[in-house]
Formats: sequence, structure tokens, C-alpha cells
Amino acid sequence: MTNIPLWLIPLFPLLGTIILGAIAVTSSGNKKGAPENLIGALAVILPAISFACVTVLAVNMPASGFRETICNWIDIPLLKVNIGFQFDALSRIMLLFVTGIGTLITLYSIGYMHGDRGFTRFFAYINLFLFSMIVLVLSDNLLLTFLGWEGVGLCSYLLIGFWNKDLKNCKAANKAFIVNRVGDIGFLLGMLSLVTLGGAGVLNYDMLNHFISMLIAGGHVELIMPMLTITCVLFFVGCTGKSAQIPLLTWLPDAMAGPTPVSALIHAATMVTSGVYLVARLSNLFVICPDVLNIILVVGALTAFWAAFAGLFQNDIKKVLAYSTISQLGYMFMAAGASAFDASIFHVFTHAFFKASLFLGAGAVIHALGGEQDMRNMGGLIKKTPVTACVMIFAFLAIIGFPGFAGFWSKDLILERIFTDCNWVITGSWLAPVVPMNKIFYVVGLFTAVITAVYMGRLIIMTFFGSYRGSKENEAHIHEAPAVMLIPMIVLTFGSIFAGYLWADYMGVRVFADSLAPVLAAAQSFDPARSLNPDILLSEFIPRAAEHVNPIIFAALGTLAAVVGMFIAWKGWMHAHIPAAKGSSAPEGYAAGWTFMWDYVHGFFVKVVNVAAWICEKVVDAFLQAFQWTLGSIATILGDGATVFQVRKVRLQLGLSILGIVALVVVVLLTGGLV
Amino acid sequence: MELQPIFIQILALALFAIGILVAITRRNIIFVLMGVELALNAVNLSFVGFAKTLPAELSVAGQIVPLFSIAIAAAEACVGFAMVILIFRNRESIDADSYSNMRG
Amino acid sequence: MLLHLLVLAPFAVALLMVVNSKEDYKAATRMAILFGLLFLGMSVALIASGNTATTPVEWFKIPGCKGPSYYYLYSHGLGAWMVFLSCGLSLVSLISARGILGANYRNFAIGIFALMGAMNGTFLAADAVLFFFFFEAMVIPAAILIASFGGEKRKQAAMTFAIYTLVGSAPMMVALWYLLTIADNSLLVSLAVAIQSVPESTQLALLMSFLIAFIVKTPIFPFHGWQAITYSEASAPLSAILTGAMSKAGVFGFIAWVLPIFPFNMQEVSTMVWLGLASAVYGAFMALRATDGKKLLAFSSMSHLGIAVAGVFSLSEAMLPAVLVLLVAHGISAGVQYYLIGVAERMTGTRNIDEMGGLAHKNPAFSFLFGAAGVMALAVPGTAGFIGEFSVLLSLWDLSAVCAGIMGFVMILSAAYVLRFIQKVIFGNPAREYTEGKRAGHLEGFAYGVMLVLLLVFGFHPSFITNSLNLNEEEVAEQVAEEPAAEAPAEEVVEEEEVEEDVEPLESHIVSSADIAKLDSSLTQAGFSEEERKELIKQVIETEANMAKATAYAAEKQQREEEEARIRDAANKGYEEFDVPMESQDESAVKNEEASND
Repeated sequence: MTNIPLWLIPLFPLLGTIILGAIAVTSSGNKKGAPENLIGALAVILPAISFACVTVLAVNMPASGFRETICNWIDIPLLKVNIGFQFDALSRIMLLFVTGIGTLITLYSIGYMHGDRGFTRFFAYINLFLFSMIVLVLSDNLLLTFLGWEGVGLCSYLLIGFWNKDLKNCKAANKAFIVNRVGDIGFLLGMLSLVTLGGAGVLNYDMLNHFISMLIAGGHVELIMPMLTITCVLFFVGCTGKSAQIPLLTWLPDAMAGPTPVSALIHAATMVTSGVYLVARLSNLFVICPDVLNIILVVGALTAFWAAFAGLFQNDIKKVLAYSTISQLGYMFMAAGASAFDASIFHVFTHAFFKASLFLGAGAVIHALGGEQDMRNMGGLIKKTPVTACVMIFAFLAIIGFPGFAGFWSKDLILERIFTDCNWVITGSWLAPVVPMNKIFYVVGLFTAVITAVYMGRLIIMTFFGSYRGSKENEAHIHEAPAVMLIPMIVLTFGSIFAGYLWADYMGVRVFADSLAPVLAAAQSFDPARSLNPDILLSEFIPRAAEHVNPIIFAALGTLAAVVGMFIAWKGWMHAHIPAAKGSSAPEGYAAGWTFMWDYVHGFFVKVVNVAAWICEKVVDAFLQAFQWTLGSIATILGDGATVFQVRKVRLQLGLSILGIVALVVVVLLTGGLV
Repeated sequence: MELQPIFIQILALALFAIGILVAITRRNIIFVLMGVELALNAVNLSFVGFAKTLPAELSVAGQIVPLFSIAIAAAEACVGFAMVILIFRNRESIDADSYSNMRG
Repeated sequence: MLLHLLVLAPFAVALLMVVNSKEDYKAATRMAILFGLLFLGMSVALIASGNTATTPVEWFKIPGCKGPSYYYLYSHGLGAWMVFLSCGLSLVSLISARGILGANYRNFAIGIFALMGAMNGTFLAADAVLFFFFFEAMVIPAAILIASFGGEKRKQAAMTFAIYTLVGSAPMMVALWYLLTIADNSLLVSLAVAIQSVPESTQLALLMSFLIAFIVKTPIFPFHGWQAITYSEASAPLSAILTGAMSKAGVFGFIAWVLPIFPFNMQEVSTMVWLGLASAVYGAFMALRATDGKKLLAFSSMSHLGIAVAGVFSLSEAMLPAVLVLLVAHGISAGVQYYLIGVAERMTGTRNIDEMGGLAHKNPAFSFLFGAAGVMALAVPGTAGFIGEFSVLLSLWDLSAVCAGIMGFVMILSAAYVLRFIQKVIFGNPAREYTEGKRAGHLEGFAYGVMLVLLLVFGFHPSFITNSLNLNEEEVAEQVAEEPAAEAPAEEVVEEEEVEEDVEPLESHIVSSADIAKLDSSLTQAGFSEEERKELIKQVIETEANMAKATAYAAEKQQREEEEARIRDAANKGYEEFDVPMESQDESAVKNEEASND
């Protein structure tokens, strides 16, 4: 059974896309549409088969993984790329949860999308998304990864704008695609500069790792350091786009316009984590540019903090979760920035479970309330929808890092690793001669954890506790979700409780870390302070300290953060009077200023482009048109002038032409030729 | 007195001049066409005259070209008269000066 | 034979179409589509058959020129693919116009076939005069078609189009004539040789004249004045051909005529790259603001072709396949977008995208095609556009990072305007009440679907396109050498009618004095006079000299390429065979450094 060809994994969702797409197009004419049961079954079974393939392969995988080259893709001078797949430890983890959670959420969607006119279309898109995501994580070279990368962006666009009758959704979709495009250009240019460094061959991951080890062994890192730094920055720009980091993050909150299962699958569990995946995949490249890792660390910390704060101000239940996603992604990048790639992937893994549960729970709530998303119109739902409430509360405990739940293991690990692994220092400050950055980032991370607990506590309290604040007629219809939606939620809840035990350091379990070691260990043990010439770096590093801190202290501080946060939330909102929502759910006042800070920045660039376009049309083009018109007019005037000589008498013309001939003949005779 | 070649050329020139003069001065479009025909035939005559003068191997051309020219003149006359008739239908006039709407 | 058929048969078919009566236009439809299919098949066969050429036939001699012009067709990868575009788009246009033109269909088909013949001639001509002839001939059927089957301002559009393009290529005509007065004949190689003997200032003037013609045709900023009005006023099937195939003649001219003939200096090249990028940015900006759907597509075309031109003048090694893939992808995707906006115009009765909307609910099948076409125009990976844009980006990156950055900016803008376009046309609610016009028929929809599938196929397997060039590259040196050789027998044909004897030495590549003596004696036997013999031998020697120059040029080029390749390989070897070569390279690098330090 070990020799399942790798291309089978993406094949099934692709088949699903083609079949469902064909059905969607052909059945679009008739009123009823295709039978939902059949479509739903098809849409779930195909990803499920993929999941089965992945599981079989995952169990039988040797430490080095499987490699498979399918065929040649691009073959031109300067650029030779194959279509090939690579199933190694990193791909294994990503594939397992992508296909697994993908299947579960597809199952959930059958209930959620019931009765929608675009039922078939929806599942065609979801299958296309799974195909692209599988290609993204399974490919063995950057260009093919980019295919998946833009493919998931495209599916995200299609699914955000799924209800395309409302232009607001379309605008959100456009925004998502365009902002992602900015990141994608970074990715593209990063690939190009990599090609410049080492030829098209290094687009392949194995080749790239060889190339880098050769560089280090030959001591050539210094020579190409500037280029290498640019390359890494460009790749990170790509990651900020896809993973919604500062400054390219405005699209993710808007992306909540899509159906909730989409938010769960694409904008929480899988697609947005592909940036983290890419950094881990290129970890060997990133570690030799510690300056870029510092940038990642700063960006991650800022994003985590900023988004957590913004999450406090949101009234829309999905927006809270969106900002929470951004904040958690910030954590993952912080870990990557501290070159703790396995910890960041571990957080990707646990986050996928608890964030998917949260989103699916939110979806169930929205479903129960008939489309209401404003938390100010909810409350007291724990009595009406107990299962959903339980799911959300467990996931809540996981995300705030309550001991024993998945988030506890992964988030504490990240904080701990930031403290121990980051050896960046800033010197020369008048206040302190040496500022160890690891402590600063640790504190930021811990503080963000407190805020996380506050805003998540607020969400749970406003939604499930207190009394119902919505309209009376709605209250009568509140019902628990159907089983087809509940089952995936419950499965994911189990995940969000137990997924953390794959790497429970305090209990001595390191399954997850050990399985990732073949891919990431080399990069993580790389110490810039020892291996690189400090002159070529912009920032300073100290050799990694052997300073030992008892891990229990980290666990205790983490737990304390969660508890403090919960307490603040309980104090703040449990008994507070919350006015019912009037009008839009968007925050106002200073909250809006904070929330939309980056939208203003983006707005500025959009404005610049619009002004430039306006200048092009109204000034440059107008000028060119005027010039053209002037030339044309001059020609017309000259022509009109010439017609004056054209007499309108036949006989006179005849006479004149004969005179002309005579004149010619005379000239020829007199001069002996014209020339 | 023998027929001198130059006489033929003089006759052709005279005929040509008459043809052109007719074509230019007459207002009746039919006369204009007749003038053009006359000029054409004058040229034919000139050709034949030269055919007589020139050496034998070259004179063939002088005899053949008029044949072509006659054929073309016939065709031209056909077209010309057809046009005249069409214009007459529109204008009810064969005065060349009234055909003044040719825009340049 | 294929070449002759592709160039001449369309004109014959255009004449043949006259036999159809206006009343029974269905018959004309069937006949036109059948012939269209035939030509498409032939163009595919042409691509499959690789490099082919016809025997050159002396055509005429322009007064004042040294040598004759030939009727000589030559197909290489680039031209063959352009012919594919022209035949394919013509066929789809014929299908697309089927239901809407009614009794006028016959005239439309006549025009389309004539246009197709002229385009094929442009792309296949191996003789400069022949090329110019067809290049100009394209304008006439196109202008007539615009003037007869367009929107309200079609007369004005046709006039603008004709005057702009004809005036644009007038300087080229003069320059070509000037070149012909000093070149042996009007084949590419002779022109390239002749240009070497011209002073530099004249070279620049000649280059300018050639460039202007192609810049106008492409069009490149600031000579794009004809484009928007023409593409928007022409009927949609015609616009598709104009942008998908005819505008390629400009880029084709840059690659196939300007680059081989003229020696370039760095400044000219970079000017062209910047012009290309300027029109890419400009087109994107204009497309962002356009409200007329067809104008939007016109500007998007301008943007893409600007990128293509910038790619051409990046002169990198990957340039030719990159630009070719980009051109094919753009031809198909811009073509299908024009057809689809034509259908939308037909259904909603307007071209203004602000007044459309909501088609996704009214006509989902159409919207699927429309959305897919839009997405493919965005160069999403997996479509042919991506391969083209990525490899052009690679070429530009090789040139300078700033250029690549600008192109990246254009790609972002293209996402903005295409998504805005899609949103305005098919999403949301209908902007106004209207009675829905004729929808697309099954055959029509199928044709568009096939075009989209083709884009996907080329996106996943671009070797279909690039392999035809690989073939070309291997043979190019031979071809360059063969062209004068091919021309020599043609000259002989005239002479040999009396001799009835083959003059063998002309075929050989190296002419020694012994060969010449042999030739001389054989000519004497054949009864040539002293002067005739001298003349012939002089010709032979000259031809050989030209050939030697061309071979030397090719060899030099090849050597340069090899050298570049070696440098790159040396860099690559570092990881491919990561034992020895890296070390040795290190050593040499160190040595170099030391040397420079000393």
C-alpha cells in the first residue's frame, strides 16, 4: 500500500471540481438545480478519499519522505521547471489537516448551504480550493507552490464573493484578491531573485537546500548577502499577503463576507497559514538571513498585538474571530522569526482545530439566528443551543491557552521558544547597554495572550450568557443545528482539546517535534552569531545562551495570562448592560480608528493610483487626443484649400490637363530630361 | 509627287489639333466625345505613318499598336456613351458645363 | 504547399464566397465555417511540420533597387503560431457572427477571409517587400469591415484606423526602399548585411522608421490614438481578430524584422523597454477608468502588449519563448474576452459596463465563461498567461529589478481592472431594465469553451508552444546560412534556361579558387561569353562572402550564448555536482580577486 502515487491526492478534489463544475453549469438553467444529496455526497467523498490516501502515505512514510516527478512543466532557456511532488514530514502534517479538516468542513457545509441556489457551485469551488491547497503543500518546487498559492487566492476570491448579488461581497472579494496579488508579486520577484542567485534549478526545494549548504560550506554567504536578504524580504512580502500580516492584512476581516464554512476552512484553518508553511519550507534560506527573521519577528509581534486589540472592538461575531485569526497568525510568525519553525507549524496545526471549531460554532449560531451576526443582538444562547455552546467554549479554552487544551501547548511553546531561541540584541542605547530582544517579545506575546483571553471571553459571554437581546420573532425560531453540522463540530472539538498532546513537553511527548525534525532541525540549530560574519548583518546577535529557565515558569505565566484575561472579560461584560445594535455592526470612534488603521493606509495607495489614472485619462490622453485632432484638422484645412484649385468645369479641366502635358513636353525638350 | 512620310504626320497633327479643339470648345458632350475619338484616330494615323518610315523589323509595332488602340477606342466609346446616357437621364442635359458637381 | 495554401487560398475563398446569395445566408455560414475549419487545420499542420520554406520565386524588381524581390514564404515557430492565432480567431469570429449579421454575413465572411490571408502573409513572408505588402494589405479589409459592421461612430473609427496605420508605416516604406537600393535583394540577410555599410546616423533614421510602423501597429504609447476607438467601434468578432492576431504583427515585426536587421545600441534598447513599460502602465491606468467595456479591453490589450514589447527588448535568452507564449496567451484570452463582451453587448444592448450587471443570475453559463476568461486574463498560474508573464518577468528581472518591479505593479493593476470589469458586468443586480437580446448559441459557447481549455492546456504544458521554438533555435544557424544559398539558385534559374546545366559549386558552402576555375571552365563549355562568365563568378563570390558573414555572425552569437550558458552552468553546478566544480570555481574566484587586488 505504500506505493500510492502522490498525484492521486490532488487528483480527487480536481475530479470533484470538474464534475461538480460541469453539473453546476449544466443545471444552472433549470429552477430546481441538481439533487443536493447526490452533490453533497460527491463533494465530501472525493476529499475524503484524498484524506485516506494521505493517511496511508503518512503512516508508511520513511524519514526522508517520498519524491515524485510527474512531468516537465516549463522548458525554456533560463527556466526549466518540473511538475513534481514531495511528501515529507512538513507536507505530511499540512496535508493531514488540510484534507482532514477540509473533508469535515465540506460535510458541515452540506447543512449550512442547504437550499442555496448555488449549492453545486459552492462545492465545486471548495473542491477547487482543496486541490490548490494540496498542490501548495505537496509540490516540490516554488513555482508549483505558487500555482497552489494563487489558486487558493482565486478560490478565496470566488468564495468571498459567493453571494455575488450583493455588491458589498464582490468588493470584499476584489479587495482580497488585489491585496493578495500585491503579496504574490513579492513571491514572484522572490523566486526571480532566487533564480538569479542560483539558476532555475534552485526553485526545487531539495536543490535549494543543497545550494544553501554549499554556500555555507564554501563561505559564500557574505558575497550574496544583500541579494539573499532582498530575496527573503520578497518572500516574506508574499507571506504577509496570504497570511494577513501587517501591512497587507485588511482583506481578511472583509473576507468574512463569504459563507461561514468558507471562513472556517480558508480564512482560518488552511489558506491563511500557507504563509507560515512557506517560511518553514524555506527555513534553511531564512536562517542565513537573520535580519529578515528579525523583521518577521517584529511584524509578527506587531500584528499579534494590533489584531488582538482590534478584536476587542468588534461587534460582528465573525469579525472578532477574523481578528483573532490575524493575531494567532502573528504568533506563528513570531515563532518563525525566532527560528522556532516547528513550534510555529505546531501552532498552525492546533490553531486549525480550535479556530475551525470556533468558526463552525459561530456558523451554527448564525444559522440558528437566521443570519444575525451582531453579538449585541445575541445572548443567552447556551440554553437554546447547548451543543454549539459547548463546542465554542471548549475551543475558547483552547485558544486562550487554558492548561490541558491544545492552545496551551502550542502557544506556551511559542512564548518559551521566543525567550530561549531569540538571540537578537540591540546595543548602544543610553538606557541600557544591551537590550535583549527576546524578553521584550516575550512580554509582548504574554500581554497579547491576556488580550486574547479578554476578547474571546467577551465573545463567549455576549453570545451564550446573559439574556437574549434580539427581536422576539427571531427568538422563536432559534434551533440547534442539524446533525450533519454538529458531527464535524464535535470532531473538531476533540481535536482542539487533544491535538496539543502530540507535543506536550511537560509530559515528555515530542511526537510532533520528532516527526518534523528531518525537515526543520538543520535550520533551527543554525546559530547566526556563530556561523555568520557579524559584519554582514545589520542587527546584532549574541551566541545562543545556555541560560536555563525552568519551563514550569513559562507554563505558569501563560496560565496566569489566560486566567487574568478571563477574569477581566467576566468583570467587564458578564453583568454589563449591552445596548441592542442599531444599524451597522462596524465599530465607531476611536475603535474605528484603531480597527481601520491599515485600511486608511491602503486607502492612501488606492487614492494615489486613482489620481494617477485620472491624470492619465484627463490630462495625458486628453492632450494626445487634442494633438491628434489638431493634426487631423490641419490636414483637412490643407485639403480644403487644395480643392480650390479644382475647377468644376469638365472642358476647362481637359484644357488644363492638355496644357500641363504641353508644359511637360516643353520642359523635356528644352532641358533634355526631367532629372 | 510621291507621298512623303512627313505629310502623313502633318495630317495626323492637324487632325489631332482639331480633335482637341473640338473636345475643349464644344459644350455638347457628344461633340466632346467625337473630338476625343478624332484625336485618338489621329494618333493611329501617326503610328501607321511611322510604320512606313521606319526599318522593316521595327515597323511591325507601328502596324500592330493601332489595332489595339482601335479596340480600346471602341470600348472607351461604349463606356463613354453609356455614361453620357446615364447622366442625361439624371440631368436631362448634354451640356458639359452643367456637369459641375464633380467634387475634388 | 501548406504555406502557399495558407497565404493565397484565403483570398481565393474570399472570392468564392461571392457565389453565395444574400438571401440564403445560412449556406454562406456553413461554407465559411467549413473553410475556416480547414484553414485552422492547416495552421495546426504548419506548426507540426516545423520549419518549412517555399522555393523563392522572383516577383518583381522595384525601380532603383539593386536586386529583385521574391515571393518567398518561410515558416518558423513564431510565425506559425501567429498564423494559428489568425486562423483560429477568424474561425471563431465566423462562428460568433453567425447569428447576428443575417443577410450581411456573406460580406463579413469575405472581409474576414481577405484579412486572414493578409495576416498569414505578414507572418509567413520571408521577403521584406512581401512582408511590407501584406502588412499594408491587412489594413484594407480591416478598415472596410470596421466601417461596415461597427457601432455608431464606425466610419470615424475606420478612418482613424486606416490613416493612423498607413501613415505610421509610410516611413518604413521609404526606409525599406532606401535599404533595397543598397542591398543585394530584399531578403532578411541581405538587408542585415547592407545596413552594416550605412553610416550610423542613417542607421538610426532607418531604425526609427521601422520602429514607428510597428509601434503604431502594436500600439505603444504614445501612438495608441487609433486603438481605443477602433476596438470599441468595430463589431466584437472583428475586435477579437484585431487585438488577438493583427496587433501581434507589431510585436512580430520587432522580433522577426527589426531585431535581426538592425544593430542595436544599449540606449535604443532601453528606450524601447521603457516605452513598452510606459504603455503597460498607461494602458492599465486607462483600463481602470474606462467605462466602455470594449475600451477597457482595448487598454488591457495595450497593457499586455506593452509588456510583450518590453520583454522583446529585454533581449534575454528566454525572450523568444517567453514573448511567444505571452502573445499566444494574450491572443486567445483577449480574443475570447472580446467575443464575450460582444455577447454581453448583444444581450444588454449597451457597452457601458456601469449599465450592465446581474448577468450571473440571468445567464449563469455565459457568466461562467465570462468569469473564467477574466481570470485567465489575470495570468493565474496554470493558465498560459502565467507562463508568458512569468517568463517575461524573468527576462525583465535579468535586465533590471526596477523594470520587473514596474511589471509587477502592472500585474497588480491588471487584477484591479479585470476584477472591476467582471464585477460590473456579471455580478450585482442589473443596473437598469432592458429586454434581453440574443444569447450565445451552443456552437458559439462551445468555441469559447475550447479557447479557454486551450489556455489551460498551454498553461500546464507550454512545451506545445516552446518546443516549436527549440526546433527553430537548433536550425536557426543553418537557416541563416541557407537563405542566401536558397536565393542563389533562383538567380540561376533565369540564366540557366538556356544552359540546361546545374552549376554545382553554388550549393557548396566554401568556394575555393579551384572551384571557381572549375565553374569557369564549365561555363565556357556551355558557351557563355567572357563578360557573362565574369559577372556570374563575381555573383557567386559575393554570395559566398555574404554567407560567410552570416555564418560568422551566427557563430559569434552562438559562442556568446555558450559563454553565458557556461557562466550560468558554473553557478548551477555548485549544487548539481557539489563536489569538485564549486571548489575549483571558488579557487578561480579567489584568484580573480587576488589579481584585481594586485
